[in-house]
Amino acid sequence: MAAAKLPSAMDARLSRLLLIAVALVFLGLFLALPLLVVFVQALSKGIGTYLLAVADPMALAAIKLTLTVAAIAVPCNLVFGVAAAWAIAKFEFRGKSTLITLIDLPFAVSPVIAGLVFILLFGSHGWFGAPLRAHHVRVVFAVPGIVLATVFVTFPFIARELIPVMQAQGKDDEETALSLGATGWQTFWRVTLPNIRWGLLYGVLLCNARAMGEFGAVSVVSGHIRGQTNTLPLHVEILYNEYNYTAAFAVASLLALLALLTLAGKSFLEWRQPELRHVAHARDRTRRAIT
Amino acid sequence: MSIALRGIAKQFGEFAAVKDIDLDVPTGALIALLGPSGCGKTTLLRIIAGLETPDQGQVLFDGRDATLWPIRDRNVGFVFQHYALFRHMSVSENVAFGLKVKRRRERPPAAEIRNKVRSLLELVQLGWAGERYPAQLSGGQRQRVALARALAVAPDVLLLDEPFGALDSQVRHELRRWLRRLHDELHFTSIFVTHDQQEAIEVADTIVVLNRGRIEQCGVPSEVYDVPTSAFVHRFLGQVNELPVRFRDGRAWLGPIDISAAAEVRTGSADNIALIRPHEIEIGSQASGWPATVAAVRVIGPIVRLELCAEGQPLNEPLEAEISRERYAAERFAVGQKVGLRFRRWQVYPAGAAAI
Repeated sequence: MAAAKLPSAMDARLSRLLLIAVALVFLGLFLALPLLVVFVQALSKGIGTYLLAVADPMALAAIKLTLTVAAIAVPCNLVFGVAAAWAIAKFEFRGKSTLITLIDLPFAVSPVIAGLVFILLFGSHGWFGAPLRAHHVRVVFAVPGIVLATVFVTFPFIARELIPVMQAQGKDDEETALSLGATGWQTFWRVTLPNIRWGLLYGVLLCNARAMGEFGAVSVVSGHIRGQTNTLPLHVEILYNEYNYTAAFAVASLLALLALLTLAGKSFLEWRQPELRHVAHARDRTRRAIT
Repeated sequence: MSIALRGIAKQFGEFAAVKDIDLDVPTGALIALLGPSGCGKTTLLRIIAGLETPDQGQVLFDGRDATLWPIRDRNVGFVFQHYALFRHMSVSENVAFGLKVKRRRERPPAAEIRNKVRSLLELVQLGWAGERYPAQLSGGQRQRVALARALAVAPDVLLLDEPFGALDSQVRHELRRWLRRLHDELHFTSIFVTHDQQEAIEVADTIVVLNRGRIEQCGVPSEVYDVPTSAFVHRFLGQVNELPVRFRDGRAWLGPIDISAAAEVRTGSADNIALIRPHEIEIGSQASGWPATVAAVRVIGPIVRLELCAEGQPLNEPLEAEISRERYAAERFAVGQKVGLRFRRWQVYPAGAAAI
């Protein structure tokens, strides 16, 4: 029996090592290496060139536009996402499954198609093209179009993050608050929101990362006007197409940095939530020890 | 506050949760809604609370039609099975919640809220736990916090949905007695939902037995237990033995025992059953009654439960009898022993009526 067991235990250890090795090699090759290349290329002509590329007025305009778009799109999706998740998790209504499917639509549709949809709707020959022109409102090839495309593409992130959290929590807390005399608003601010805050923050983080990094949909509606409708990812592409590799990678490194920050924030949130309980326990223990 | 339900019905899709319910709950009563899962008891409680709207019928609070009042205007305290404590708030903050969300001109000053919270926590014997968070308390403690929180807004009615269902039996027993005392001290009207017949009998003044969305029987615990009006209620409140009533030569028989004299043989039809509670079986010498063999003996605290295979009955359906520890000490029934059974009481119902 023991003799039969030994090889199988060794087999298990061997296959475990093999699996870990494969995963590590894969991650290194496809994730870590490219990230490293970005920074190496960006700094290949020295820090001076790097700073020049980043401080270029066109680059600064792209940074400003990207931040502006994210600053509009993320709050919009915050409100939509919370509302949609609340409706889906806490109420029964007709068409609920349709709503869930619609929320997933941006994940399913190619971003390029999302961009084209907005051109068809708001472009000069689109459905609303004539009335918009009459009122001198520019949507496509302008900031509003970029914001719309970004909102569309990043819509699922927050809602998707919140729906399972809210479903798991059920309605008991809200019903209790109402029975204690709280209004709907009080219930939302004092009970629902604190209950979902970590999930919400997590969703906002992912939504923000995608909003700043979105290329396809934004590329279609932006028109690539330098200094006006160029976001960071588009600016990288332009620089690259002009064979300005160092500058392209320098700007790309900003996006890569954003990705790293997002990952760090995400890990922090994941670490923070159980930690919260530990802290409370530790505090409690010390207090008991003192008294 | 008195509560009256008039013709309440509620449907969820195809499923009729409650059907045409009439019920009167006088002021200060402590009522149990008892029934198996899916019988509509929780739905009924939620309708009274205003968490569900009935499809038909009226809910009257002190005679006023409250059917469409929103929950926050009803002044009811609602306690959930899983406590529903706000986990991001300390125990004190949880209890203070109902006072803090009041409109500014109705809201008591902060110092008064603090005092109220302190006295409520004392009332539920958790004066020491104000700064704790719910995650740091045991189940029984959490449920007491939930009760204190519900009582903080001085509700006219306290509604409890399986309040002790998630607790272990020791704590459950303690909390039942405590709830009963609390009710007697504070005189609010309470309605609680349970599927545990013992809980209902121990705590409530009145038991309402529900089955498939209808009220089967309503009465004081001893009445519902001793004089069940249907086989369903008889089965649901406590253990029962079930025996077919056989008709031979114009007489009714339970095994070899002639029950024609006492029994309601009226129907004379073939399909009747007799329900007998374990403590209603008398065990004597073999000649004294229905011959049977002791199949198992289990001592459970003050009582002893015997499994008895009666002659002519299927072996895998032994009868259950309960005798006192003292009686057992005197008689020393052993497994395999031949005995004779008699029945002190039984009740005959038409067979096939609503099994559990």
